[in-house]
Amino acid sequence: MDVGIGEYLALCSILFGIGAIGFLTRRNMLIQLMTIEIMLNSVVFMLLAFNRVHTGSQAGQVFGFFVIAVAAAEAAVGLAILISYFRIKNSVETDKADLLKH
Amino acid sequence: MMELLPVASLLMLVSAGLAIMLLDVFTKGRAELPFVTTIALLAAAAISAAALFAPAPTDVPAFITDYLSVDKYGLFFDVVIALGAALASLLAGGYLREHGLERGEYYVLILFSALGAMVMARAVDLLTLFVGLETLSLGVYSLVGYRRTSARATEAAVKYFLLGSFASAIFLFGAALIYGATGHTGFRSIGEVIAAGHAPVMLVLLGLAMLVAGLGFKVSAVPFHMWTPDAYEGAPTSTTAFMSVVVKSAAFAVFLRLLAVGFGDELSRGAGGWPALLTILAAVTMVYGNLAAVAQSSVKRMLAYSSIAHAGYLLLGLAAVGTKPAEATSAVLYYLAAYTVSNALVLGALIWSGSHGKEATSYADLAGLGRRHPAVGAAFLVGVLSLMGFPPTAGFFGKWYVFSAAVQADMVGMTILAVLSSAVGAFYYLKVLVYLYMKSPEEGAPVAVPMKSSYVVFALVLAAYFVMKMGLTPARYLDAALAAASGLIG
Repeated sequence: MDVGIGEYLALCSILFGIGAIGFLTRRNMLIQLMTIEIMLNSVVFMLLAFNRVHTGSQAGQVFGFFVIAVAAAEAAVGLAILISYFRIKNSVETDKADLLKH
Repeated sequence: MMELLPVASLLMLVSAGLAIMLLDVFTKGRAELPFVTTIALLAAAAISAAALFAPAPTDVPAFITDYLSVDKYGLFFDVVIALGAALASLLAGGYLREHGLERGEYYVLILFSALGAMVMARAVDLLTLFVGLETLSLGVYSLVGYRRTSARATEAAVKYFLLGSFASAIFLFGAALIYGATGHTGFRSIGEVIAAGHAPVMLVLLGLAMLVAGLGFKVSAVPFHMWTPDAYEGAPTSTTAFMSVVVKSAAFAVFLRLLAVGFGDELSRGAGGWPALLTILAAVTMVYGNLAAVAQSSVKRMLAYSSIAHAGYLLLGLAAVGTKPAEATSAVLYYLAAYTVSNALVLGALIWSGSHGKEATSYADLAGLGRRHPAVGAAFLVGVLSLMGFPPTAGFFGKWYVFSAAVQADMVGMTILAVLSSAVGAFYYLKVLVYLYMKSPEEGAPVAVPMKSSYVVFALVLAAYFVMKMGLTPARYLDAALAAASGLIG
């Protein structure tokens, strides 16, 4: 079977959808952090797939590297914030985060 | 070395940030970091302001111009962002010390976030835009959660971080789609490919919608605003000042550039394109922001909703860029500069009103303060009138230029809605003045005592000077905004 850009695009959209739905439905912040990583991974995958179509430059590959690097930095900051939150609240459930009311 | 001159303001902030980290360690935290940070930021603003009035540099190497613009539009935002960050670091110098929170990393984070903001405002490539956006965001998440032992601050940081990363992921997916559709990441090349009709329309529109959603989050447009009140309220007030001026300016700067340069073609500006999308966002944002602000009892939270409302007026200006590029762009630039100094002034006055152990945050805390401490009252008065859009202040001309650009772009109905909703805004702004001058503190309630800090006083004098100066001689500042806009529209 010949795998074209359409198949890659479908796979990335499904991955991104899983991540987005997971983020919106789960109530555990650690899992929400993981779902964001899934979304970012789908973006990296899509950038690489598109680079196979646009062979003129390696912009997609380079962009992919940057996304990976920034995702790592984001995870580091996010976990630090989550830890300081857990120390106070003893929980990482979003339902408990209700001090600041709308 | 000379070829790096056009990005000197960015290099200034990087080296200042690194130097301050060392300075803090080697002096064991005894150095006057707010002072050093402010000097560095004001120096960056001065460098860019000088370049703004000088002739444009020629033969800048491509390794800079492919990723960072050196045009007057970027320089204008350099000045606004550096000035806003300088005001925030001065306010932090008073606020953090008074409340026993001062640590060196706060100023380093301010410098690096301001760097990210400047990179964003100068970005001409989706890659630079993304890197700038994340440099800014990661710094600001940490600035919000800076008070680690406070349940409210960490909760605000967690909410801001989770929603912020979600929005970044959506933005990135949009960027990847645009890259896939056009084969380019540079704004200008993207625009050329779309205008030539070589890009799949559905892919472009979907990508554009996701980019708008991601950036709409950063400018706190409804319905992507949920984080704004919580993050503004939970953060240290100096961080609130930084967020409301620097993050907003940078996000609007790149938003406008991306739309005008990358999606300036007939199709994207047409009936179903971004001006229509932004008009709807603007309407919802200004109405919701103003109505929700009325119901607040905390001044900090009220200012958060008012910043949502101001984002609505700015989005109206952005929508007008589709038909009247020069007028609308210069109006948005002027508005952002005016909003920066006015909002820093009001938040600075709020910081000034509190002292150790008793921060002023609610309306009740301000009761009678204007009569007991006329200087604090005067700072509030000037700032609040400017946010309200009362002549002759900076805020009045900001609203005037944006609304008249919208009228010229045939958006009369929207302009009427904007004027009506800013009349609602007058209600909650005047409530601040009513509490300051006409109410007295309740029996037994803790009475707010203003702090003594020369940093805060200096920041307020600086902000008030610009609020009045931009209101009394608006033409000079509008000329600078027009010159900046011409750099973008070409």
